[in-house]
Amino acid sequence: MPLSLSPKIKATNREPFFKAYYMNIAGIGIIFTRGRGIDSLGIALRQGWVAPSQTKSLNDQNVFYPAYRVKKETINDITILKKIRRADRFSKIAVLAAWDAVVDSGIQINDKESTIGIILATAFGPHVTTFRFLDDIIDYGDGSVSPTTFSHSVHNAAASYISSLLNIRGPTVTITQFSSPIHQALILAKAWLEEGRCKYVLTGCVDECGNVMEYICNQKLRIANNGKIRPFNFSALSSSVPGEGSVFFLTTLENCQNKYCKIIPAFQANRDTIKKSDIYIIEADGMAGDETSYQNTAPVDVSIGGYAPIFGSMKIISAFHCAAGALMIKKQIKYACPVQENPYCLNVITKTESSKIEQICCIRKNCANETNIIRLMR
Amino acid sequence: MKIFITGIGGISAAGRNITEHLKSFRLMKRNAGTVSLFDTSLPYPVFEVKSPPINKQINKQKNEMRTLSLAMSALKEALQDAGLQKDFSGIKAGVCLGTSVASQLNDIDFYRTYRNTGAADMAPVDRFLKGNLAEAVAKSMKASGPSVTVVNACSSGADAIGVALSWLRNSVCEIAIAGGADELNRVPLCGFGALGILSESLCRPFDKNRSGLNLGEGAGILILETEKFLRLRGKKSALRLAGYGAAADAYHLTAPRPDGSGLEAALRESLADANITPQDVCFVNAHGTATHDNDKVEGIALEKVFGPKIKFLSTKGYTGHTLGAAGGLEAAFTASALRECWIPASAGFIQQDENIPVRPIREQTQINGSFAVSTSLAFGGNNASIVIAKD
Amino acid sequence: MGEQKEMELPEIRKKLKELLVENLSLEDVSPEEIKDDEILFGEGLGLDSLDAVEIVVLLQRNFGIEVKDMKEGQKIFYSIDTLANYVYENKDK
Repeated sequence: MPLSLSPKIKATNREPFFKAYYMNIAGIGIIFTRGRGIDSLGIALRQGWVAPSQTKSLNDQNVFYPAYRVKKETINDITILKKIRRADRFSKIAVLAAWDAVVDSGIQINDKESTIGIILATAFGPHVTTFRFLDDIIDYGDGSVSPTTFSHSVHNAAASYISSLLNIRGPTVTITQFSSPIHQALILAKAWLEEGRCKYVLTGCVDECGNVMEYICNQKLRIANNGKIRPFNFSALSSSVPGEGSVFFLTTLENCQNKYCKIIPAFQANRDTIKKSDIYIIEADGMAGDETSYQNTAPVDVSIGGYAPIFGSMKIISAFHCAAGALMIKKQIKYACPVQENPYCLNVITKTESSKIEQICCIRKNCANETNIIRLMR
Repeated sequence: MKIFITGIGGISAAGRNITEHLKSFRLMKRNAGTVSLFDTSLPYPVFEVKSPPINKQINKQKNEMRTLSLAMSALKEALQDAGLQKDFSGIKAGVCLGTSVASQLNDIDFYRTYRNTGAADMAPVDRFLKGNLAEAVAKSMKASGPSVTVVNACSSGADAIGVALSWLRNSVCEIAIAGGADELNRVPLCGFGALGILSESLCRPFDKNRSGLNLGEGAGILILETEKFLRLRGKKSALRLAGYGAAADAYHLTAPRPDGSGLEAALRESLADANITPQDVCFVNAHGTATHDNDKVEGIALEKVFGPKIKFLSTKGYTGHTLGAAGGLEAAFTASALRECWIPASAGFIQQDENIPVRPIREQTQINGSFAVSTSLAFGGNNASIVIAKD
Repeated sequence: MGEQKEMELPEIRKKLKELLVENLSLEDVSPEEIKDDEILFGEGLGLDSLDAVEIVVLLQRNFGIEVKDMKEGQKIFYSIDTLANYVYENKDK
């Protein structure tokens, strides 16, 4: 029996009505290079590493840019996307992931009560559409540009589509950040829930690849020539492969029937905040360049996971790792790491098997060498 | 928990600081002109920030985006106003700023070169990567709390203030820099022109013969503190951020919900959040862009919530529509008006539109009240309402 | 003159239908399926305000026509026929 939303909490001189230690993940939606939905994620985690696709460079036919792109057929859902015919690819990817998170939760949305909020995080926004708009300016002149393209080049178009498609009328915010976008989104979601601003928050993220971005990545990052991200090399010159996709969590303080796990975000953590867990997921994906600081974050005596080689390198990769961690806790399965090169002899998970998992700690270092963590608890 | 506004800063075509803005408001000075910051064939009047120190600070060799310079200028004033001289080293300080332009990688020269040759200089990209507005401000202030840039189109500044309020109430940080900044840029000028909502003359918010908005640029910043932190600093403030409400239209990408119910919901939520009734509000600083749709919808919502006699105005007749900065600037103006006990005339308004059940004030007006509201509406259907209190 | 109009109008209608389907992402319908008297807004094709301003740009780019006043646009954009007539009367002026 799906849960229905109870009436919105009356806000009176809002203070956190209780200081919640954690939120619950009631549902997950994911769109990534290997497909759509939490089941696709499980299959990909079982299958392991797959080579990225390649795009030819514009100015040199012999240069290829590898990337983990979302395939066309993954976002070809005519039933849902028919209602948003003008939406660009960026918005479509986000909409489908958000939609799936709500469906996955089993919760019925009551459109009369504005009890759901939306927080969408993105690092680079709909840059493909922005460049298409610049095409218009260059090709047709300032006075002859497409208003539709412009409307989609603003960062909040995706959240707007999610809101209108799902008839969500609570607070809706799009945020952009490079260093810890997912952690900030989750921290804000928790604050909203504690304030009673809404009962559920669709908290998620989206970022996309594109010709220009892939060119930029090739200029600014070391790209893994064989397409393999190596999360445990902790190299000073780590290599990446750009990825794209979207993940949404339906988060709540309510105790839901089918929930995945509890989630606690923290940014600028120190060693004391990194509590003992059954599994540590090292979120190294090559984007930071120098990943030597990950060496000190991984204890030697516990299981270590690292799944960036499946998703690709993204500023928003923490959400994908959280989705993987949440799935592991729900299914009580630990998945083998897709790339197991392990020069520091960590206890890297080498085999997919059932396991008692009470807590997972996802550790992400950013370019400023800050440690941001997300704890997932059963 | 009480959250205090301890510092206010603002820069726009109407002034380099709040004092200059108040002077422009008194004189009903509207500093619009044709675009001078970049080449464009578009004839629309805009509100550019022209006077120093901004133009001296904008130096491409310093690799700093104009939006960041505008934000730093308003921040400097707000910090002085708050009696905060140093940076925020060792303090759990948050930075939440709204913007639209600064979040986009939209350098036309960069893209044109890439398109023509398949390669381009990375300097604009580096500027962009270092220029996430909130992160850049946090770095310069050595702020060690959360830093987030809100990109909610025209309600970004207001929503950023709302985010900071949530942070402070939930002890995510003890003090926060909140508001918005946006530079005048060719991309939104072309885009808004294509949408048919730019006016070829000076904008006329809520007027019967309004014909669209004028773009502007600027930054508006508030320093927000918990009562505890303020007490520790040995300071007091009479101004508070009393409430915030936000609601989505869930309707259309560019048109607001015609019955104004999205804004109405945001307004009612903000009043409940502040624990006040509509009768307690002495004035509203409306979004008032002078587009046909916004002003009509906003007028309907204001009448529904406050009744036909509510005193309200739009300051966009003085600043233009500053996009991501608007919510921040207008919160600053609202706080300042409560402190100074007067509100300016709604510049550009002459005649009431019979389809809008309320009309803004035509003259500078004394006010004597404890609460005021600032509203923002955005493309994509975001509606935001901020309640500011004077104790 | 009347004959010329009779010759050119079908071409204009065809071009307009193709432009609308392609540029407004009308995935449910092909240009051939759109009737000449198809109403564009509300009923019929179900276009909205964003489509209206997009059509203004399409007219600019493809026929060199400027629609100055959107209130005028309500009559012009009523149906494929009214739009085609408008294009015929105003193209390349």
